[in-house]
Amino acid sequence: MNTISLSRRTLIRGSALLLASTALPPVAFGQSGGRLVVAADSEPRNLNPAIVASNGVFFIASKVIEPLAEASFDGEGGLAPRLAIAWEGSDDGLSATFKLREGVKWHDGQPFTSADVAFSALQVWKPLQNLGRLVFANLEAVDTPDDHTAVFRFARPTPFQLVRNALPVVSSVVAKHIYEGEADIAASTANLVGTGPFRFAEHRPGEYYRLERNPDYWGEGEPKLDEIIFRVLPDRAAAAGALEAGEIQLAAFSQVPLTDLDRISKVPGIEVYSKGYEALTYQLAVEINHRRAELANVKVRQAIAHAIDRDFVVRTIFLGYAETATGIVPKNAPEFYNGDVPAYPFDVDKANALLDEAGYPRQDGGTRFRLRLLPAPYFTETRQFGDYLRQALAAVGIDATVVNNDAAAHQKAVYTDHEFDLAVAPTVFRGDPAISTTILVRSGTPAGVPFSNQGGYENKDIDALIDKAGETVDTKQRTELYKQLQVLVAQDLPIINVADWGFITVASSQVKNVSNNPRWAVSNWADTELES
Amino acid sequence: MNAPINAPINILGRLLRSPAGVAGLALLALLALAALSAPLLFPGDPLAIAGAPLTPPFTDPAFPLGTDRLGRNVLAGLFHGAQASLAVGLAAAAVSIVAGALVGTIAGFAGGLADEALMRVVDAFQTVPGFLLALAFVSVAGASLPVVILAIALGAWTGPARLARAEVLSIRERDYVAAARVIGMHPAEIALREVLPNALPPVLALAAVIVGNAVLIESALSFLGLGDPNIVTWGSMIAEGRNVLRSAPFLSIVPGIGLVVTVLGVYLLAEGLSDALASRKARP
Repeated sequence: MNTISLSRRTLIRGSALLLASTALPPVAFGQSGGRLVVAADSEPRNLNPAIVASNGVFFIASKVIEPLAEASFDGEGGLAPRLAIAWEGSDDGLSATFKLREGVKWHDGQPFTSADVAFSALQVWKPLQNLGRLVFANLEAVDTPDDHTAVFRFARPTPFQLVRNALPVVSSVVAKHIYEGEADIAASTANLVGTGPFRFAEHRPGEYYRLERNPDYWGEGEPKLDEIIFRVLPDRAAAAGALEAGEIQLAAFSQVPLTDLDRISKVPGIEVYSKGYEALTYQLAVEINHRRAELANVKVRQAIAHAIDRDFVVRTIFLGYAETATGIVPKNAPEFYNGDVPAYPFDVDKANALLDEAGYPRQDGGTRFRLRLLPAPYFTETRQFGDYLRQALAAVGIDATVVNNDAAAHQKAVYTDHEFDLAVAPTVFRGDPAISTTILVRSGTPAGVPFSNQGGYENKDIDALIDKAGETVDTKQRTELYKQLQVLVAQDLPIINVADWGFITVASSQVKNVSNNPRWAVSNWADTELES
Repeated sequence: MNAPINAPINILGRLLRSPAGVAGLALLALLALAALSAPLLFPGDPLAIAGAPLTPPFTDPAFPLGTDRLGRNVLAGLFHGAQASLAVGLAAAAVSIVAGALVGTIAGFAGGLADEALMRVVDAFQTVPGFLLALAFVSVAGASLPVVILAIALGAWTGPARLARAEVLSIRERDYVAAARVIGMHPAEIALREVLPNALPPVLALAAVIVGNAVLIESALSFLGLGDPNIVTWGSMIAEGRNVLRSAPFLSIVPGIGLVVTVLGVYLLAEGLSDALASRKARP
């Protein structure tokens, strides 16, 4: 038979190619490498990863600006060298020495030296970066005995375990010669100049970011790609269609909705990866405003924990792509995880009994008290869990009113104005409890800091334990303290953890070396290849 | 000239003689029935998790139209959604007709500077698309049912205002208004008791269109996540279903049909009403 079959898919693919050929600058054929087109669901305003250490920024900027070390599945201590090739902490916790890679050049041709590291640490990470503020709080000076050695000096003992675990996230090195003399580095409009495998080429708002190959990259034979295009596709539902039509080759961070995975995994030429997010575990947690008299009662908090069916949440909202949580440290952080903590299995009768005991009997209508519930708007899953939690609370006689806000209004309501009773938050575990986890239960964080204890919770034992761990240099002792912390938190429930989830990457099977490290989506992609 | 007071009854009679009007009325009566019977047929919260998630329609007799991603009964959502949609539509139309008719009557009857000032305000509101106005209002004031109603009325009251003013301008020159002046009635009393009732019928005909628009705007707001999350609306059902459009399209289609039926009913009624009004004008 010799008929021309024009299926919908070929039609879509054809028009997509036509569109792509006009929308994007042409690339010469015949070169090795090729162009990788990736879906991006947001357009961060500040793309400097040294200042904004968040996954939305790393997703694009980590290819341009590199950290001292990157997370690794098989590297020593879970790390692979990047701009540093060796690191060591002193026994007293007062200094840490980094040997830096030689022969590295910035994208503008200047050599990379220890002065850049010292500048980044003292002028950017410590004073300006959201996470570096905590990790480098006691950083006093950075000595540079030679061009390729940087010695961090701390005023008070800083556990090297923390520094090491934080390296992939907090240590993005920026060039001293670019920012030196700028009055306000955070507001700088200087171009993104790094040492990474790709150079920042252009950003067309609403359309795409373009990164191009850095021919002088230090990695032998890397990068493999000529170009990476981050196509702005804010509509999550569109990513699956774009992948199937061949308009994009990769969608990370669960841009393809979980509900589509089952179907798309059967499409030939498309692979689904659930690996590659181990070092950036998201946690579905219920934040509690302890200023409410009812919620200040631990029995009420325990009742709420018993009212939540964690298996239902994992099965129905996450479609199995998550794990039930037992506390503030996720299971896939084996270095710190402690499963031997009080558990709160799903038990409506027990929850009702606890609420009766707490002194909140059901009134005439069967309602004990009313609450405001603010689900974070960032993920479909957090919003859906908000809907679920409202129903779960109704079953034990708590009438929750869901208040939906946009991202800015949500941050203000919960973290600045404290106008919430319960909030659903996607908190992140970043390899060490001291980076972004203890802040969720430690008292004394000023209002306005997102994803921190803004519920007015104060527990002297927990505070003391966190402070002690913060200065314990011995790795084993420090780990033990965090295991104790998990027990205290599970007993007193300042925050209720429901599930831990990683994301899903969906890619064309032409893309090779996907998900080969625990922070793959936010790593440098130097070894990512396109097979033709 | 018909006696002005009998006009609404005559219009109803003519409406019942127009096929479009009858069809519209029938559809809306059906919806009203669904809305009113919702609490009886499906008592309790329609957002409650009732069964296994994503049950397809026509498979489980307990859930004739299936369940959504969390296991909520789609049929219960459809009925309760009718309630929300009709309540929002009617309330928004009532608010905008009352506000619009008052402003229009005052502007038309007072004339002069008051007329100028009020009509410029109307112009200002008319230059902003109603949906954008509602969007902005809800995102500032927060999403709840009264706010949504107010937000929709905010973009819809200008039509009735203009129409009422035009009617008033012609009515105020009539003899019976002059007579009322002669017997010494207070201008406000003349405006509200003599002029407004007679200016109202054509404005009321506009109500149907406003209801239809209001239902659509409310759904659009809910679809964008700006509706009240504690009640079920068709817009929020469609938004929820959109995430699983490829695997469970019925979740979006069922409430979509509800919307189509409502808006169709409302527009048919409006069609019938305008026919009825036109024939009133045609017969002197």
